[in-house]
Amino acid sequence: MISSNLAQSFNRLRVERFGAFCLCPSTMSSDAAPAPPPPPPAVAADADTSSSNPGSDPNPSQNPPVEHPTQITEDTDISTLSAAQIYELNQNLLDLTSDVQRPLIAALTPISELRAEYENGSPAFVKQIDYLQSQGYSSIRRTRGDGDCFYRSVAFAYVENLLHASDPELAVASALSTLEETQGMLESIGYERMVFEDFYEVLDELVKNVIAPDVSGRTLTEETLLEAFQNPEKSNSIVVYLRMLTSAQIKLDPESFTDFLFHPETGEPLEIRDFCEQLVDATGKEADHVQMTALTKILRINVDVAYLDGRGSNGQVEFVKFEWAEAATPICLLYRPGHYDILVGPKR
Amino acid sequence: MSSISSRRLSKELMEIKNDGCPVGINLVQADDFSTWLFTLEVMGESLYKNEQFTLQFRFDEQYPISSPAVQFVVTDGRQAPIHPHVYSNGHICASILGNEWSPVLSVIAVCVTLQSMLASCKKKQRPVDNDRYVKHAPENPKKTRFHYDDDTV
Repeated sequence: MISSNLAQSFNRLRVERFGAFCLCPSTMSSDAAPAPPPPPPAVAADADTSSSNPGSDPNPSQNPPVEHPTQITEDTDISTLSAAQIYELNQNLLDLTSDVQRPLIAALTPISELRAEYENGSPAFVKQIDYLQSQGYSSIRRTRGDGDCFYRSVAFAYVENLLHASDPELAVASALSTLEETQGMLESIGYERMVFEDFYEVLDELVKNVIAPDVSGRTLTEETLLEAFQNPEKSNSIVVYLRMLTSAQIKLDPESFTDFLFHPETGEPLEIRDFCEQLVDATGKEADHVQMTALTKILRINVDVAYLDGRGSNGQVEFVKFEWAEAATPICLLYRPGHYDILVGPKR
Repeated sequence: MSSISSRRLSKELMEIKNDGCPVGINLVQADDFSTWLFTLEVMGESLYKNEQFTLQFRFDEQYPISSPAVQFVVTDGRQAPIHPHVYSNGHICASILGNEWSPVLSVIAVCVTLQSMLASCKKKQRPVDNDRYVKHAPENPKKTRFHYDDDTV
């Protein structure tokens, strides 16, 4: 499924203040986008975008020659790619092949199913999946690969952890107090209440529903939680709110983040405002270490991310831990290049 | 339960009615939560002095999670501004209307951005690929995948 021509990049973003506008060679300033040559400025995207080739221009003499970087196929070893290539590849995949068949978030599946998918492919991945299984990680909950998967996974597991808490009343009260505080934080950095309150309410309602009956008289269950997260409006509202929180944390604590704000593709340093606008607030933009740190910090949660990248020695899997709460059950995520799913750990 | 777009748009509308629009921007039609029209003028010295344009916003039920479809109206004698990022059919190439749309933006924020895009224009001209684009453009500009690169105009 990983087969995308890197020349098909629509993501070369150079943005200042209000966002970028399209490339028009006659008005391009000398410092604009040196390389590689862009595809034609606008491609009318019909239902079958993937088949349109922005490199095939009827008037090639009007455009600079298009470079054709290494074709990446299923057999390409991920470890031979640069971070920028992997990012670009992922983002193009997300943009071009929107994975609409898959539910936004799915029921639990045994990790053996994932293993079966790699059995004819990458032995390094199979080895790492076996390692996870040997450590008691028995199942995964898949999310749609739409660029929101990190946020959606965290949100789902966040509420699910409340459902399974030993003292749900206390867990919910503590979550609500954290969440309520975040509204003030958003206002303090200039977000209008109007802009965030509808999204906040969806998450707030769901968290309250863990212990308090909703209008139909029921409290939240595993099933209704899954239903809520499969409902695009509710699910995406929560994702939007978590993106806002991520931005807020970065803006409220600039010293912790300024040294790490780079465009994942160009490697150029970015101002906080640009980073948040381009890589946090915009839906469908994948999260990386900075966003993960910020979100886990503002929510005061622990997240363990298992890196299934085919790189570990002896088939072991490296866990990257984000820890902002004492003695709290961590949310476990499974990372495969460009995608996050929920990983269900040994404790359940 | 009303849709997320009608809840949000009713708040935006109320704010516009209470506080008014920024200078140069006027709401001319917002009878429902599917299509709104604004007039747009660039204040002060600019290449568009004494010109008035009409901006159309179309919203789907997922607004503001999904971006509004925004374009200049080019019917009934109205024209799109001549600008390197505005096609003669009214479509606009701006990243905030495409892959950098964010729900923290609002209708007024988009108006202000486009106003400032016009205000900073240094040379009135159509995008270089105007004819080719307009010939094949979808009716709804959201179906176009623009390539954004230029932050200088």
